[in-house]
Amino acid sequence: MIFRAVEDADLISRVRHGDVEAYNLLVSRWEKRVFNYLLRLCGSPDDALDLSQDAFLKAYQNIRKLDDPARFGPWLYRIAHNEAYSLFRKRRPETALRSLSSDELGPERDRAPGFPMDLSLAVTAALDRLNPEQREAVVLKIYEGFKFDEMAEVIGCPVSTVKSRLYTALDLLKAELAPVNKR
Amino acid sequence: MCRHSENLRDYAFDELPAGERLAVEQHLAACGECSLELDRLRLTAAALRALPDREIPQRIAFVSDKVFEPSLAARLWNSAARLGFASACVLAAALVVLAYHRPMQTVAVPAPVSLNQDVSRQVNEAVAKAAAQIRIEDAKMTEAALAEHDKQYRAQMVDMEESLIVLQKHFNNYTMLASSDVPRSGAGQ
Repeated sequence: MIFRAVEDADLISRVRHGDVEAYNLLVSRWEKRVFNYLLRLCGSPDDALDLSQDAFLKAYQNIRKLDDPARFGPWLYRIAHNEAYSLFRKRRPETALRSLSSDELGPERDRAPGFPMDLSLAVTAALDRLNPEQREAVVLKIYEGFKFDEMAEVIGCPVSTVKSRLYTALDLLKAELAPVNKR
Repeated sequence: MCRHSENLRDYAFDELPAGERLAVEQHLAACGECSLELDRLRLTAAALRALPDREIPQRIAFVSDKVFEPSLAARLWNSAARLGFASACVLAAALVVLAYHRPMQTVAVPAPVSLNQDVSRQVNEAVAKAAAQIRIEDAKMTEAALAEHDKQYRAQMVDMEESLIVLQKHFNNYTMLASSDVPRSGAGQ
């Protein structure tokens, strides 16, 4: 992880000197993670792809503003987070902060081959029942593996708020998934 | 709920400092409720993590952006120089391919050899023709010079014969005069 961080920092340095190919390499390292983060946030692969492209473009345009290249990950996710919430507000200002229904989340229920269907459905349904802030906290912690301080940087709130959202979400998920976990 | 529940969750996600981790581990050894809660938390996280990532449907890439103006050297290398270098490489590769894959065709076509032979033959003919012409001219000039010289020689010979005839006449006259003078001298004594 340290070696990878140094490599990212080196790529960022090259990008700052106008090396577009270095940025493409950086994108190739992060695009799948950012796409899945946005997919779990908004539920639509098309929206997730558009938001990913916008996020990477904004990151490219503002990379000189990144103070610490070692914090590229949280910084990039912060941009992706802002892009997602901007889209939420644009489309549904009155429901931007509420939980999206299963119907609205659409094709996220496409499953990978070999994944147990009942567990897949149960996990997806349980995540759908969380509100967007709780779901984002779970996604950043469980799927993206960020530390609390990094999550706070991405979401733009105190660590205490992050922990509160995450633990509330986990209590709900624990109850939702208890029957599945017992199998 | 046990008073250690907050630390227990932080412990589950490896967000506790080393000192507090040790305290939680000691508490877990003695508290069945917290051990059970930790198991449920880990099981829930494992169930969530079982949901796989999806592949991105389309790769993201950028060509260029004016926000980051490359250096002059980079611009040169990225434009003309690299294009020229690539063109030279393609040209060299094409020449190598032609050289190695079409040798028989090159040998089979005798056009350059035939052309050289033809030119050489024409040159030789022209040189021979010019030499012959020169030899004819030289022969004519030599013949004319000899004729002129012979003519002058004959004229000189004629002049010499005429002079000899005149001298012979003068000699005869002197001889006749001398013979007539000898008696005339003896009768007078």
